[in-house]
Amino acid sequence: MSTKPVFHKTNKSHPWRASIKRPPTPDAEEDQDREPTLQEIINIKLIESGEKEKLKELLRERLIECGWRDEMKALCRAFTRKKGRDNVTVDDLVRVITPKGRASVPDSVKAELLQRIRAFLQTAAL
Amino acid sequence: MQAQLICFPRVYISPVSVALSTLMSGPNGDDMPSDSQNMFFVMLVVFPMSIVVCVQLALHVFGDLLDSIIVDVASECHRIVRLGLERNLDEEEEELRLSAQARARIADPSNNVEANGKYVVDIFGQTHPPVANEIFDCMNCGRSIMAGRFAPHLEKCMGKGRKARLKATRSSTAAQNRYSRGSPVSTYSPYSSTASINRLSNGNPRVATGECSNGTVEEP
Repeated sequence: MSTKPVFHKTNKSHPWRASIKRPPTPDAEEDQDREPTLQEIINIKLIESGEKEKLKELLRERLIECGWRDEMKALCRAFTRKKGRDNVTVDDLVRVITPKGRASVPDSVKAELLQRIRAFLQTAAL
Repeated sequence: MQAQLICFPRVYISPVSVALSTLMSGPNGDDMPSDSQNMFFVMLVVFPMSIVVCVQLALHVFGDLLDSIIVDVASECHRIVRLGLERNLDEEEEELRLSAQARARIADPSNNVEANGKYVVDIFGQTHPPVANEIFDCMNCGRSIMAGRFAPHLEKCMGKGRKARLKATRSSTAAQNRYSRGSPVSTYSPYSSTASINRLSNGNPRVATGECSNGTVEEP
């Protein structure tokens, strides 16, 4: 049995994972004095209270209702047709969808979500 | 930015909405870092710091949520494509499929327009059978009649037709006359019967039911 002193996480060792590129796992923070930013604090509060999950479900539901999701899937299909079925990676698709996706969220959906987030911030920050 | 407790007094609710809508209808509508920085300084002129920070936070959280949903959609599409579950991936395949569908629709006998006249699909996709098939009771004789056969039934029932008129004359004179079997007036003319007892030429009282008593059925 070969012993591996260090485990290298490379794409080549797992061929079926070649379509996902992850940034390398960061080492443990040497600098423990870094103060968490306000955004991080709010993020942690969101996750701990379970509100982030609820907001995500709400957003997902609204986007499905308004047809946004189908538009994105059509974009993916069109891109795949051009590029060829076996050459498509998840990163490609994310890169294709992101600009159009962010821009085409309906205003009503965005307003509703921002309203809910604002309400949470008001209660969480007190 | 240091961690602070930020107070959100209720009087600021409407300015926050104004700030939000300003940000939403901005030039790009997206949250690229440089643009949001510019917006930050612009809005700082008009709104107090607390509101601007609140709005920025909300937008950042929204962006996070949207990003994770985008990744979900992308990975699901990727899975479908790679597993070969997407049927319509090639343009030519799609065209072939659509043309085959159209051909099938034309060749399908149930959708034939010319042959059956009324049996056609209307613009709502409904088909109507050639004969109306709702069933109700005739108010004259009390039988159950199909709607599409109501007019011919009424002809016979109420006296427009030959046989009904004969029946009317026959029943009015049946008590007095005896008529032979050989007469051109058929003794066994089927009649749409009532529930009452009728006398025939041979004098036998008969109970008339929905069916004709001699076995022939009037309704086609």
